Amino acid sequence: MALAEGRTTTRIRKHGSIAEALGGFRLWWLVLPAFLFFLVFFIAPVMSLFALAFDKPVAGVVSFAGNLTLDNFARIFTRPLYYLAIVRSVGIAAVVAVIALAIGYPLAYVIAKTEHPGRNTLLMILVLSSMQLDTVIRMYGLMVLMGDQGLINGALMSIGLIEKPLPLMYNTFGVVVGLVQIALPFMILSLIGIIKAIHPSLEEAARSLGATRAEAFWRVTLPLSMPGILAGSLLVFALSVSSYVVPALMGGWKVMVLPIHIYQQIAETGRWQFGSAVAVVLFATSLMAVFIYHKAAVRSAGGRT
Amino acid sequence: MSDIRLVNLSKTYGEGNAVSEINLKIGEGEFFSLLGPSGCGKSTTLRMIAGFIKPSAGQILIGSDDVTALPPEKRDIGIVFQNYAIFPHMNVAENIAFGLKLRKRNKNEITWRVTEALKQVGLAGYGERYQRQLSGGEQQRVALARVLVTEPRILLLDEPLSALDKGLREEMKFWIKDLQKNLGITTVYVTHDQDEALTMSDRIGVMSKSKIVQIGTPQEIYERPKTLFVTSFIGHSNMLDVTILGQDANGVTVDLNGQELKTRASSSVTPGGAAKLVLRPENVLIGAALGDGDSRLSATVLSETYQGPIVRYRLKVGEQEIVAERQNQAHVERFSPGTVVTIGWDPEWSEALVA
Ligand SMILES: Nc1ncnc2c1ncn2[C@@H]1O[C@H](COP(=O)(O)OP(=O)(O)OP(=O)(O)O)[C@@H](O)[C@H]1O
Ligand SMILES: [Mg+2]
Repeated sequence: MALAEGRTTTRIRKHGSIAEALGGFRLWWLVLPAFLFFLVFFIAPVMSLFALAFDKPVAGVVSFAGNLTLDNFARIFTRPLYYLAIVRSVGIAAVVAVIALAIGYPLAYVIAKTEHPGRNTLLMILVLSSMQLDTVIRMYGLMVLMGDQGLINGALMSIGLIEKPLPLMYNTFGVVVGLVQIALPFMILSLIGIIKAIHPSLEEAARSLGATRAEAFWRVTLPLSMPGILAGSLLVFALSVSSYVVPALMGGWKVMVLPIHIYQQIAETGRWQFGSAVAVVLFATSLMAVFIYHKAAVRSAGGRT
Repeated sequence: MSDIRLVNLSKTYGEGNAVSEINLKIGEGEFFSLLGPSGCGKSTTLRMIAGFIKPSAGQILIGSDDVTALPPEKRDIGIVFQNYAIFPHMNVAENIAFGLKLRKRNKNEITWRVTEALKQVGLAGYGERYQRQLSGGEQQRVALARVLVTEPRILLLDEPLSALDKGLREEMKFWIKDLQKNLGITTVYVTHDQDEALTMSDRIGVMSKSKIVQIGTPQEIYERPKTLFVTSFIGHSNMLDVTILGQDANGVTVDLNGQELKTRASSSVTPGGAAKLVLRPENVLIGAALGDGDSRLSATVLSETYQGPIVRYRLKVGEQEIVAERQNQAHVERFSPGTVVTIGWDPEWSEALVA
């Protein structure tokens, strides 16, 4: 009985209207500016781009003519150049999410568990400072490191370990490294709060019940980090799948992912309709990937979160 | 079931001592409380026994095993935390099964034992619930069931009642004590609440500033406090300024406002020195209540406070104040402020302590 009541109250809370959350209609005007901004500068351009995707392709024409067709999409799904780009985009974004999680989790864990206030602040500043620079600048930094004449290849060649420079850039590897570099702080920030919220006594309780440090981590800390892992990897996936700058600079136009195609179609050949269709596919693909991932993660967490 | 021995156990943080040189033997099946004010080192001591804190010096023995260097999971202990630490991602049954799964017990045995444990703590049928669907008292019982199902050698409890409301606290106090007695499990109980310690314990160790200052049964701690700290920490006491006149086999003679009084002394005192005469308000008798051989003094009633079951008097003796408490029973005389009365006490119930 008590159980059933508990469920009802949460349902009511979840489905309480937005108006209710804002304390009646009197506070509506507070969200109005944000709503208008969102409408004019986000919804409108995206919707017009979407509309364009279903228009008959005419080079150089930007306005919606109303000649509805699915030709643009048919082209994407019949030409390997394009449909392989979908696979490549999703694959790279997924790999980046996994790597960012694998590197980010231990770092977030250490930061979350650092009690010393000064040391904690220092670590946070290190993470945040890497986000202060623009993506382009950070990519040029990576180029200095990873280029054929870069620091890594230079060092390896000067000690005679290799004769020719290793292909670190202008390939998928370079793109993945660049994206991980961009994504890592977002992953860490998503995780820190969640890990901090796991009370230390939970791990201690596990230890006292016979769990080794590793068992306590696998059975208690990691499952309780799931909300952060989920949020972090979705964020990183979304950032990576839609990134144009990183594949452009680190891939040197050789790693053809969807955003590169969109740019080429629209900016170089002026085919707005086809470019828009690729954008729609990118949007739909990442939405679907996110949806599937979320479902799977929720199932693995036993219906929680 | 095992006994626990702490040998010169110490923990230092930087310059400060959290725990200094504790020597203690807790017997098999004993309920031992560590009682003391905030920051005196109770939790640190308990967490060293559990293995979460590495001692700076000293040894911890459980039974005949030296566990000082062992990690918590190898110590075979059970600990209940102040916040109960129920795993939020597991239901009650999974929480209780946690220790058994780690011990690789087979499925049937686990199911059976979890059911038994839930019955034992009065939560039969709660197996499917999650932490967020349990009250504080229920979480407390789950935490105990989760620990007891693994049959630990010792049970450690860190302020397990402090998060409960008063009514439930009273109930759980007796419930935990009964459970402990039935199981006969050696228990260390940390609290800053003297009522809990006095009601539940076989013995109490009173801690102050990183040290254990007195160990004894609840009665010894309450009636024979050895230091002024213990006196003032446990219950209320009168502490009167006196001068020591002399000491013999029967006790001590002190001077209170020019009047000679006999009293008990647990340690040796120096004649001529200042001391405090310590006695509890309920042992200060007024008028006809006095018996033969009691010390007697003349006092003036300053105020009378009615508190239901007891009546409290503030009395003036010379320049000092004494508080007396009397049971509010039939045929008990009452005294109004301003009255001059004879007060006194049995010398065996007063004690001279040197600061
Ligand atoms: N990690 C730590 N670093 C430095 N000092 C500590 C640390 N942990 C505890 N202390 C200090 O050690 C002393 C004892 O702490 P402890 O937690 O054992 O107190 P306690 O008796 O349990 O108090 P409370 O009743 O408030 O829980 C305190 O003065 C505390 O400040
Ligand atoms: Mg404590």
